[in-house]
Amino acid sequence: MSFIKRAGLYCFRQRFKTVLLFLVLTIIATFMLTGIAVRDAAKGATADVQTAIGGKIELSLDADGHMGSGQQNQWGTVYGYNGDLITQEIVDAIRKVDGVVDYNSEDTESYFGAGVNFKYLPAAFGLSYTEYGECSAYTATLSSEKCSKFQSGKYKLVDGRHIKPDDKYACLISKELADYNKLSVGDQIKMYSLDMDAISEFEIVGIFDGTEGTSGNALTVDEIPANCGYIDYATMFELWGDDLNGYQQLTIYVKDPVSIQNVYDKISGLPELKGKTLKLGIDTEEYDVVSTPLESLQQLVNTSIIIISVVSVIILTLLLTIWIRGRKKEIGILLSIGKSKINIILQIFSETFVVAILSFTASIPLSFSVAKKAGAFLASRVTAEAANLNVQIGVAYLLPLYFLGILLIAAAVVGSSWTIVRSKPKDILTKMR
Amino acid sequence: MSIIKICNLKYAYDGNRTVLEDISTDFELGKIYAILGPSGCGKTTLLSLLGGLDSPSDGQVLFQGEDIEKKGLAYHRKNNVAFIFQSYNLIDYMTPAENVGLTSKLPPLPILERLGLTKEEAKRNVLKLSGGQQQRVAIARALASDASVILADEPTGNLDEDTAVEITNILKECAHQMNKCVIIVTHSNDLANQADVVFRLKKGGLQKL
Repeated sequence: MSFIKRAGLYCFRQRFKTVLLFLVLTIIATFMLTGIAVRDAAKGATADVQTAIGGKIELSLDADGHMGSGQQNQWGTVYGYNGDLITQEIVDAIRKVDGVVDYNSEDTESYFGAGVNFKYLPAAFGLSYTEYGECSAYTATLSSEKCSKFQSGKYKLVDGRHIKPDDKYACLISKELADYNKLSVGDQIKMYSLDMDAISEFEIVGIFDGTEGTSGNALTVDEIPANCGYIDYATMFELWGDDLNGYQQLTIYVKDPVSIQNVYDKISGLPELKGKTLKLGIDTEEYDVVSTPLESLQQLVNTSIIIISVVSVIILTLLLTIWIRGRKKEIGILLSIGKSKINIILQIFSETFVVAILSFTASIPLSFSVAKKAGAFLASRVTAEAANLNVQIGVAYLLPLYFLGILLIAAAVVGSSWTIVRSKPKDILTKMR
Repeated sequence: MSIIKICNLKYAYDGNRTVLEDISTDFELGKIYAILGPSGCGKTTLLSLLGGLDSPSDGQVLFQGEDIEKKGLAYHRKNNVAFIFQSYNLIDYMTPAENVGLTSKLPPLPILERLGLTKEEAKRNVLKLSGGQQQRVAIARALASDASVILADEPTGNLDEDTAVEITNILKECAHQMNKCVIIVTHSNDLANQADVVFRLKKGGLQKL
C-alpha cells in the first residue's frame, strides 16, 4: 500500500483530527492572507498619497539680520524687512526647473478691505474706522486651490472656480458671507482699502464653505473666518505698485517626492537665487501627515504577519507533535514491515498537505471578506484619510504564500516526527508493549 | 537448507549489559523453531536482530548467506522477514483487508478467508475483532508479504487456550505446508512442544534442546 493511500485512509478515518487540522490551517491561512492583503493595500494607499500630494519645496524670505535698524514712529520702533523678495524673474526660473509641476504663493492678511456694496458678518465691536465700516482680511494667492485650508480639506469650493495665476480683481468669499449679502458667483463687490485709500472692484469667481460655526465670540469682523476671503496676487501688485515687487513666499510643487532632493538641489543652484536673502527648504509635513499613519499601519501589519507566522508554526508543530506521538505504534508497525522512514514522513506530510490545500482554498473567500473588514477597521483606527483601503486578494501573492505555507508544514511535519522516526524500530516496538 | 543464520552474535544494552553472547546457529525453511527462556533473557532481542529491527553489538545475521546490513535493515524487513507480535500490532484505523494490503499488492480477501475471517469481518475496523481474529489478521499480513521467515513474538500470549491451539496450527501449516521458516519466541511449553526445533536461551547462550 502506497503512502498516499495510507494518508487518504488516515484523513478519511480520523475525521475529528482532519477537521480540527482543517480549521487550524484555515484560520492560520486566513490570518496570513488578511495580513498580507491589508499590508499591500496600505502600501498601495501610501503610493497613491505620494502621487496625489507630491512633494513641496518652500521658498521664503530670510528675515534673519535683514529687518533693518528700525524706524521710530508714534507707536515705537517699527522694523521692516529690507532684504530680497521673490521676484517674478525668480518664479519664472523655478517653474522651468525639471520636476517642478506647479507653484503657489499664499500671503495671509495681505489685503484689508471694507465692504462698500456689501456688509460683513457683525462682530462684538462695531468699529467704524473707515467711512465704509470695518475692514476684513484677505489672503493674496496665485492659486487658491493650493492654499493650505483648501489642501487640508477645511475649506471646500461649493460654487464657481478657484483663483488662477492669470486672474485679476478676482476673489473668493465664504458661503456665509455670500448668503448674508445674497451674493453669488459673477457678482461684483467693491472694497475700500485704508492702506491705499482706494476702492477696488472684485469679481466673485468662487464661493467656499467650511467657515460655519467658527466665528466664536469675535471682537472684530476680521476675526470671523467667514468674513475673510482670497484675492489674486496680480491685483495686489497693481494696487501696491512699486511698494510691492515680489512674493513673500513661494510653494513649489514637485511631482515625485522621491526626487524632491534632486529638484531642491537644482533650484538652489539657480543663478537667480545666488546671493539673495531667501531661504529654501523641503516641506514634507503634508505628505508626512497622511503617509506616516499608513506606514505605521504597514509596520503594524508586518509585525502581525511575523507574529502570526511564528505562532502558527509553533501551534502546528505542537499539534502535529502531540498527534504523531500518539501514532508511535503505527510508525513502529510500518517500520517493522519494512516501510522506510522517508515513506512514513511522506505519509504524514501528505495527510497534512491534502488538508492544507483544502484549507488554503477555503481561506481565499474567507480572507477576502475578513481582510476588507480588518483593513477598514485598522485604517480607521490609524488614520482617517486612509479609511478607504483597496484590499484585494491577489493571485500574485497567493502562490508564494501557499508555497511558503507548504514549506512551513513540511518543516513542522519533519520536526514533529523526527524524534520518533529516528528511533530504532525495536525501541519503538519495545516501548509500545 | 539454511535460510537465515546467525554468526557469533553479541548484543549488549548501552554497551555493557550483555544479553546475547557469541551465539551462532542457523534456521531452515519448512521448520518451526521455538526459543524458550525466562523473562529478560534476550529472546525478543534475538528476534529483533533476526528481523533487522536492531543491529548486533558484534557478529552477523546472514540471510541466504548475505549480511542483512548489506542491503539495509529496512530492505530485510520488507522482503525477507515478517513479524507476528503478541499484541497483534495492527494499524487501528484500517480494516483487516487494508492491514494485509500493507505488505502485499495481492487481493487480501482469499488469505483472510483462508485464516477463517468472513468477508464482512475483513471490512470491519480491526478493533472490532476479537483477539484471535486480530492475531489471524496479523498472520495473514505476515503471509501476504511473501517473506520466507516468519518471526513470532509470543503469538499466543494474549489468547485463550482454544484460540492459541488454532493459531499454533496455522503457524505449523505455514512452516510445513507453505515451506516458511517460522521462529517463535515464547514462554509456553505447549507451543514449544509443537516446534520442530527448540532452543533455550540462558545466560546469553543459545542451547538446542
